[in-house]
Amino acid sequence: MSCSSAVVGIVDYQAGNIRSITSALEHLGARAIRIRAPGDGNDATHLLLPGVGAFGFCAGRLRASGLLAYLEEWTLGRKRPTLGICVGMQLLADTSDEMGFQRGLGFCGGEVRRLTSTDPSVRIPHVGWNAAVFCDDFGEFKSGESADFYFDHTYGYRTPISGSVLATCHHGETFCAALRRDNLVAAQFHPEKSQAAGMRFLRSFMAM
Amino acid sequence: MLKKRLIPKLLIQHRKLGRTTRPVLVTTTRFSASHDVGDPVSQAKIYEAQLADELIVLNIDGTPIGDDKLMLELIERLAGETFMPLAVGGGVRALDDFGLLLERGADKVSVNTAALDDPDLIGAAANRYGAQCVVVSIDFRTGADGASFVVRHSARHTTGRTVLDWAKEAADRGAGEILLCDADRDGGGDGLNWQVCRQIADAVPVPVIISGGCGRAEHFTEGFVKGCAEGVAAGTFFCFRDQNPMQTRAHIRNAGVAIRMET
Repeated sequence: MSCSSAVVGIVDYQAGNIRSITSALEHLGARAIRIRAPGDGNDATHLLLPGVGAFGFCAGRLRASGLLAYLEEWTLGRKRPTLGICVGMQLLADTSDEMGFQRGLGFCGGEVRRLTSTDPSVRIPHVGWNAAVFCDDFGEFKSGESADFYFDHTYGYRTPISGSVLATCHHGETFCAALRRDNLVAAQFHPEKSQAAGMRFLRSFMAM
Repeated sequence: MLKKRLIPKLLIQHRKLGRTTRPVLVTTTRFSASHDVGDPVSQAKIYEAQLADELIVLNIDGTPIGDDKLMLELIERLAGETFMPLAVGGGVRALDDFGLLLERGADKVSVNTAALDDPDLIGAAANRYGAQCVVVSIDFRTGADGASFVVRHSARHTTGRTVLDWAKEAADRGAGEILLCDADRDGGGDGLNWQVCRQIADAVPVPVIISGGCGRAEHFTEGFVKGCAEGVAAGTFFCFRDQNPMQTRAHIRNAGVAIRMET
């Protein structure tokens, strides 16, 4: 599918930076719509799960909004291509240790843990441009390719149990920078803030 | 490997132009005597094309951001027309102000005076929005005895607190990044205070950004190598000198610092 025929339904559960991702998608020629309630967005060809803030807050908002059932139906059931970004990726895990023990959606299994560093020059949070190394082909990216993306996070996704690692990143330790389970793709970095590499990533998603 | 960041700093003031008031990009020297440079969005697009790693946008009028419709509109436009990270500050007073700016497309929010007045704001913002989006901005001056003290209200008042003490407290309370600015060196072009940056970087686990004093490409390299800064921010340097982030970047890379060269 080309970007100009994509209709991306952005899951709006009041815990994400919707404006930046909307601008990026529209810049690529796609139409972006907001999904605020389970009945919205039946004409969407793709779904996007953003996320900014604390894991527990985001998970709570998603459950309370009724949009978790929406994702279960459309992403897991009807296999609509879906992209999780930043905390929207972390939510796919079973658990996170951010501020105690938090339960995620479990779509891809595994856990999210605080990044650790024993080297004082490796600072946490992990903020800035770092290389994601792809370990599988994904749209315009080939396995083995490395590209710089913008990261801004304190917690990292360890190996998913359902699905597989699409790209890794190293900051003190190696964590999962992007993952894929069939029609579900997720990135720890912010493609909407990653200039040309980010646009390639979003185009690759919309080609699914 | 995480790259070091080169960060143009856009200082904003509101100017009456005819009947309308518009946000204008300005530069300062020792936090005063500002020169008008032009339209912030056009300048941001130029910086993006020149591969800047991030933009810091600070309103220096002191208007509370909750009342500052023009600034909020400006952030919306910047986030809509550029696709790069934005750290925004100036007039951030309360917890909800973080949400206001993040909703409009900021990735990080910088807080200065309000954190000095109410240090609990740092932890509250980190719990609600995540530490990675909470930047504590610290302006400082160095006295004759060599000690560096935190200043507030455009450097007109000293707080009596050392930079080291406040930076450590801010990081302990949950700040995800420390943004330092040397008020004495601001706009002077005589080099960064990398010594203070190094002192702070050695004392806190979070990234430290230094600004104030960049006049030549090698000043950036000093900030990264000697100051252990994760980012170097500059306003006047990028606005008025015949330098752009691309040329500066090449110089820094040649000095052996890991830095982004292409997207």
